[in-house]
Amino acid sequence: MKQLTSILEGFGSTLQLFLRALSYAGTLPRQRARFIEQCYLIGYTTLPIVAILSFFIGAVLALQAGYSMQNFGAMQFIGSLVGLSMARELGPVMVAILLAGRVGSAITAELASMKVNQEVDALETMNIPPARMLVLPRLAAALVMVPVLAIIADLVGWFGGAIVAKYTSFISIEPEAYFSVLRRYMKFQDVMNGLIKAEIFGLGVVLVCCNIGLNTRGGPREIGASVTRAVVVSLILILVLDYFVTKVLI
Amino acid sequence: MNNAQQTARVGLFFLLGLALTWVTFETLSGGTIFKEKGYMLIAGFESLKELKQGDDVRMAGVKIGTIETTRLAGRRAEAVLRIDPGVKVATDATASIVMAGLIGTNYVSIDLGSASAGALADGAEIRTKVTPDINSIMTDLGNLGQKLDGALSSFGSAFNGDGKGGGLFQKLDKLVTDNSDRVSTTMTNLQEITTKLNKGEGTLGKLINDPSLHDELVAAVDEIKSAATQAKGFVSDAQGIIAQVKSGQGALGTLVYDEATANNLRVTVANIRSVSDKLAKGEGTLGKLINDDTLYNTAQNTLKKADRAIDGLGDSGPITAVGIVAKSLF
Repeated sequence: MKQLTSILEGFGSTLQLFLRALSYAGTLPRQRARFIEQCYLIGYTTLPIVAILSFFIGAVLALQAGYSMQNFGAMQFIGSLVGLSMARELGPVMVAILLAGRVGSAITAELASMKVNQEVDALETMNIPPARMLVLPRLAAALVMVPVLAIIADLVGWFGGAIVAKYTSFISIEPEAYFSVLRRYMKFQDVMNGLIKAEIFGLGVVLVCCNIGLNTRGGPREIGASVTRAVVVSLILILVLDYFVTKVLI
Repeated sequence: MNNAQQTARVGLFFLLGLALTWVTFETLSGGTIFKEKGYMLIAGFESLKELKQGDDVRMAGVKIGTIETTRLAGRRAEAVLRIDPGVKVATDATASIVMAGLIGTNYVSIDLGSASAGALADGAEIRTKVTPDINSIMTDLGNLGQKLDGALSSFGSAFNGDGKGGGLFQKLDKLVTDNSDRVSTTMTNLQEITTKLNKGEGTLGKLINDPSLHDELVAAVDEIKSAATQAKGFVSDAQGIIAQVKSGQGALGTLVYDEATANNLRVTVANIRSVSDKLAKGEGTLGKLINDDTLYNTAQNTLKKADRAIDGLGDSGPITAVGIVAKSLF
């Protein structure tokens, strides 16, 4: 019961934080520097790991698909399989998980540290709402940067699949044929669905991590616990949201 | 890192994202920058089946374009075909929807048409024909299965009976049971006949068992072969003669095929006819000789006179013989 209450309390406080941050949306132009800084952290510095992971996910996907499909001669459809899988599912989910692991943990650690060191209290004392100064720039940065990361992940994953499809002996599909099939069976709507999912995941991860960070209580030990909790809750949230968002978008 | 650098990197990163999104949109949605070149043809069908945008258009198995779009147009479905530039589709070419696999992939197949026909222009409508799809084939197979089922039921009823009368097997059983004595007798007779045949008794037995009959038969066949060989030679000779005649060699050949000889023969026959006509009419010396009795009578009188003169010569002696003859004659 206590855990259920805790979960419901988490949902409620996260929603409240989101609404409070939205209410300060008009102040965003004045927080341009913070917004740019968060964009840099969320987008630019996350790009290398997103590119590396998406490349190898696309490559492994092509490899596994080729291995499975060679038994019934459907290897020419690898392009569409990798393309659809990356665009509709793996790209957004992978970006969201990396965001939770790399950015979300950092956000929680930073905000928890500020909370533990009473910097958040100091802001409130100065009538500076944390939702405006600490949460809104991060939410806005996630809103702008996560789709960019997702589209890069999609494209890099497609190319990874194309390279594996060409240079794997038992697949040997030329990139022209690979991308021809990909284009034939894919619509931009598939990519858009992925971007929408990534957007929802990104906002959810940043919100959860901000909320857990701002609700940290106790000493420095609680900072680590909050980070762990933020990452775990973010991962669960991503997978739960993934099902429902996919269900809505299909 | 100062703020300016950070802002520039974030801006670049955001622009990169926008550019990639735009490229993806253009690639997947057939935007203008990656728009394939070529010209459009319209193919109308009663049903497009599983045909969809992006499927192949092939001519004689070679891909020459793709399906640009599919749409409903009144009471029919239309597929807009994008044909690669440089590929000419004859005006009498026919398009049909062909199934590429059992998993629902189709393509439009266009035949070559005639070489003399002109090329279809951009936006022209190509002739189409309907081909059976997997659903109609399965429907036909289902109907065939029902017919087979009915036929097998009929066979079953025929063999086993339909409840009213006995089936074929029951009737056969009754027939054999009712006629068992006759069948037994017939089998006994058959056994006797085969025994006799085996022993070489009777004409048929000898024919089967006597080797001399075989030898005679072989000799007869040899004679027939020999006769056939001779006949063949005769026919060959006749063919040679006919060939010679046809080539105008020999008397017969000359007679049949030489125009000059034929003319000569015709003239000769005409001459003979003329002579015979004259003879019949008593014209000329020979005709008069044949037809005029006067000469005969004159000759008879002369002979009589000569006879008398000879008689007188015997009486008067040789001195006056000449005078007597002359007197008698003149």
